Amino acid sequence: MIPQEKRTLDGNRHDPRIEESYSDPAGGMNRIAKVDFSREERSELLNVKAWSPMLETYGLTMKVAVALTDVQGTLLGKVHCPQPIWTFVRSTLVGKETGCPFCLSPPSPCAAVMNALRTAMPAIARDRAGLAHVAIPLSLGKHRLGAIIAGQVFDQYPESLLLERAAKTFGVSAQLLWRLASKQRPISRSALQQAGDLLCALGQAFIRQRYGAILETQMARTNLRFRLLVEGVTDYALFTTDHLGRVTSWNVGAERMLGYPEADILGQHFSRMFTSEDIQNGAPEKQLGNASREGRTEDEGWRLRRNQTQFWANVIITPLAEEANSHRGFAVVMQNATDRREAAIELETVRQERMNLQEQFLSHVSHELRTPLTAIYFFITNLLEGVAGDLTSSQRENLEFSLENVKQLKDMVSDLLDVSRIETLKLTVEPQCMSVPSLIAEVLRTCLANARLKNISLVADTTEGLPSAWADRARMRQVLVNLIDNGIRFTPDNGTITVQGGVFAEDSGFLYLSVTDTGCGIRPEDHPMVFDRLAQVKTLTESSRKGLGLGLFISKELISQQGGRIWVESQVGRGSTFYFTVPIFSLAKVCGSIFTPANLAAGCVTLLSIDVPTIDSSIPAQDPTGIRKVLERCILHGQDLLLPPMTDADMIETFFIIACADRFGAEAITKRLRRDLDSPNLKAAIFITTLQLSVNDQPWEERIAEVTTQIDKLVQKHLVEREILK
Amino acid sequence: MITKKILIVDDDEYLLLGLAAKLKASGYAVVSAVDAVAAVAVARREVPDLIILDLGLPAGDGLLVLERLRALTDLVATPVIVLSARDPANNEQRALKAGAVAFFQKPPDSREFLTAIRRALGEEVALSQFLRT
Repeated sequence: MIPQEKRTLDGNRHDPRIEESYSDPAGGMNRIAKVDFSREERSELLNVKAWSPMLETYGLTMKVAVALTDVQGTLLGKVHCPQPIWTFVRSTLVGKETGCPFCLSPPSPCAAVMNALRTAMPAIARDRAGLAHVAIPLSLGKHRLGAIIAGQVFDQYPESLLLERAAKTFGVSAQLLWRLASKQRPISRSALQQAGDLLCALGQAFIRQRYGAILETQMARTNLRFRLLVEGVTDYALFTTDHLGRVTSWNVGAERMLGYPEADILGQHFSRMFTSEDIQNGAPEKQLGNASREGRTEDEGWRLRRNQTQFWANVIITPLAEEANSHRGFAVVMQNATDRREAAIELETVRQERMNLQEQFLSHVSHELRTPLTAIYFFITNLLEGVAGDLTSSQRENLEFSLENVKQLKDMVSDLLDVSRIETLKLTVEPQCMSVPSLIAEVLRTCLANARLKNISLVADTTEGLPSAWADRARMRQVLVNLIDNGIRFTPDNGTITVQGGVFAEDSGFLYLSVTDTGCGIRPEDHPMVFDRLAQVKTLTESSRKGLGLGLFISKELISQQGGRIWVESQVGRGSTFYFTVPIFSLAKVCGSIFTPANLAAGCVTLLSIDVPTIDSSIPAQDPTGIRKVLERCILHGQDLLLPPMTDADMIETFFIIACADRFGAEAITKRLRRDLDSPNLKAAIFITTLQLSVNDQPWEERIAEVTTQIDKLVQKHLVEREILK
Repeated sequence: MITKKILIVDDDEYLLLGLAAKLKASGYAVVSAVDAVAAVAVARREVPDLIILDLGLPAGDGLLVLERLRALTDLVATPVIVLSARDPANNEQRALKAGAVAFFQKPPDSREFLTAIRRALGEEVALSQFLRT
C-alpha cells in the first residue's frame, strides 16, 4: 500500500485566527449558522450546472483537473480538465470506483476532503500513483456543504519506483504510464498551495453568491406572493409609508379608491388624503403617533380623493416594526365606508321618523281620548256629588269603582305619551333644589284616597334635617306616585306601605327614597325585568293586573336622567321595596363654575337675596319663570350666578344671586334689578351680604369651601326667616 | 245674589253636558259654544262672568279666541280658564301669557277645577263648599 500523505497547506491548522477567517470569510455570515438548509436548498447551493462554468474556467487556466463533491467526497457532475495519466489509470477502475474521483484507491472517503471539511481549510493528499490533489471546503457559516477537489498533478518529479508499483496495482503498462507521466510537468508544492488558496477564495465567493441568489429568488417569490395578495385586494386601499408618512407602496385598491396612480403618489406625504381641517388639527401626525405608541390606530373620517371629492373612510394604521424601539414606516389599510355610513344615517333617520310618527300618533290618540274621558269623569263626579239626587250605598260604591277606572285610564294616557317621548329622546327633566320630606308628605296626601279603598296604611319615615335634593320635582312626584300606586295595587287589604328617605349610605352625594309594601313580592328571576317596557310579571293575579306596565319603565328613565338609579329588593310572599336615588343639591357644585381665582381676585363674594311679594297667578307677567328671566338678564354670566329655585313649587318668591363682586359691584346689580324688576304692582326687597374670603395663606380649596358654607348658611337662614314671616 | 254666568267653549257635546250639569249644580248659569267663531259671538252676546275655553277648536285655535276676547272692551277683564287635552308642558305658559288665569289638562280634578272657578270669579271659597263636594 502506498502511504497517504496528509498535510495542511501551511502546517498550522490549529491557528484559531485562520480557522475563524475561513469559517467566517465574509464576516457577518455567522448569522447563517442559525439557518438550517433544506435538502433542496443544499442541492441548489451545489447545483452542478451553476458551478460548471466556473470550475471549467479554473481548470483550463490553472491546468489542473477540478471537480465538485458533496460532504462525503462523492463526485457531483463531472471532473473538469482531467489529466491524461489519471484518465489512463482511472480507466482500469471500471466498476470499482472509489468515492473520491481523484483518489486512485480506497480508503474512502477521501482523506483530503475529510480534512478540509474538518479544519475548514484546504488540505492536500497524494494518491498511489503519486498524483497530488487539494480539497477545498465549501461552507456557509458552520454549515459544511461540500468540497472542490483540484489536482491530478505531480507536486514533484514522478518517481519511477512509485509509477511501477502503481502500474502493477492498476494492471496498466508501466512504460505507457511513465511516458504519460514524463509529459506531465510537475507543479511545485507552493504553486499547488497557491492554486488551492485561489480555489478556496473562489469557492467561498461562489457559494455565497449562490446563497444570495437563492435568497433573492425566495424574496422575489414572497414579494410576488405579497404583491399578488395586495394587488388582488381592490375593495381596500393598502399602502405603506415611511416613518414620516411618505407613501412607499401603493396598491390597485388605493388607486381606485383615491384616484392617484402609483407613480404620482409615491414619495408624497399621506396627509394629502386628509381634509384641510384635519390637517390644521394635526390629525395625520396624531394618527401616526398613536399607531407608534399603541401598535395600531383606527379612525373613521372624511378623506379626499385626487379630484378633491370626499368619501367616508375607515382607516387602520399599523407600524411596520423593525427593531424593538424603532420602526421603518407604517402600513395603512383604508376602506370606503361611505355607503355603510349613509345606510346607518338613513336607518337612524327612518327610525327617528318612525318614532316621531309614533309619538304624533300617540299624542293624537291621547289627545282624542282625553275629551271623552273628561265627559265620563264629569258625569261620574256629578252623580257622586249628588247632582242627580241622593245615591244608595251600592250605587255610590259602583260609581266609585267607575271613577277609579277613569283615573287609571287617565294615567295610562299620560304614560303612553311619556313612553313615546322617551323613545324620541324628548323626555326632559329640569332639576331644581327641592325638599324630599315635603314631597313625600304631599305625595302621601295624594295617594291617601286610593289607599283607603283597600284600608292600606301609608307611613312616611324620613331622617331629620335631610339635605335638599337636586331633582325635577314634578318628575320625582310622578315616580313616587307610581311606586306607591303599584304598592297599593299589589298589596292585599289592610297592608302597609312605608315611604322612607335619607342619605344614601353607599354614596353620600345621593339621597335615597324607598317604597316598601307588604304585598305578594317579586321572584328574584323577575327583578331585572320589572323595569322593562311593557313588563308585567306573569305570576300576578288577574285582578291585580292593571295598567300598561309602563310605570316602572318610565320611572327608570326619569330617575336615570336625573343621575340616580332605581332597583328593587323583594321576597316572594313578604313584599317588595323599591329604591331610587337622586343627587343631593350642592351649593359648592353649582358655585364651582364661578369661583375661580380670577373671579375672586378681589377677595369677596356677595349674596343677593331678592324677595318678590306674593305672586298673584292672575297676573301672568309675574310668573316665576318670567322673573327668573329678568334676573338672568341683570347679572354677568360667568361671574355671577342665579341660584336655582330653593323652595318648593308653591313658595317661589325668594331668589338668590351669588356675585363675585364687592359691595359696589353688588350695588350696580341692584340698580339693574330695580330698573327691570320693579313695577307699580311689584316691589322687590333686595338684601345684600358681602363675604370676605379668608386670608391668603390657606389652600384655595379650603377658602372656597369656607365661603360656600357661609353662603349656604345665609341662604338657609333667609329661607327660614321668610317662612316665619308668612 | 246674582247668578253668575259661565260660558263653556268645547266641541264635545257630552263634555258640555257633563260640565254644564256640574256648574249648574254649583249654582251657576251656563251658556255654551262649540267652535271658535261661535265662542266670540256668544261671549259678545251673553257677556259671561267667566269663560272655560278649550284650545283645539273647529274654526280656529283657542288661543286666537283668547286674543280676540282680550280685544273686546266688554270682555277684556273676563277671566278665562283653559281646559284642554294638550300637554301643559308646551301650552300652559302660552295660555297664561295670552291672558288665561289658569290651565287645566283634561280631565281636571273636579274639586281643584271648581275651586279655580270660584277663585277666578272672586268668590270666597267657603269651607262649607269644600265639605259639600
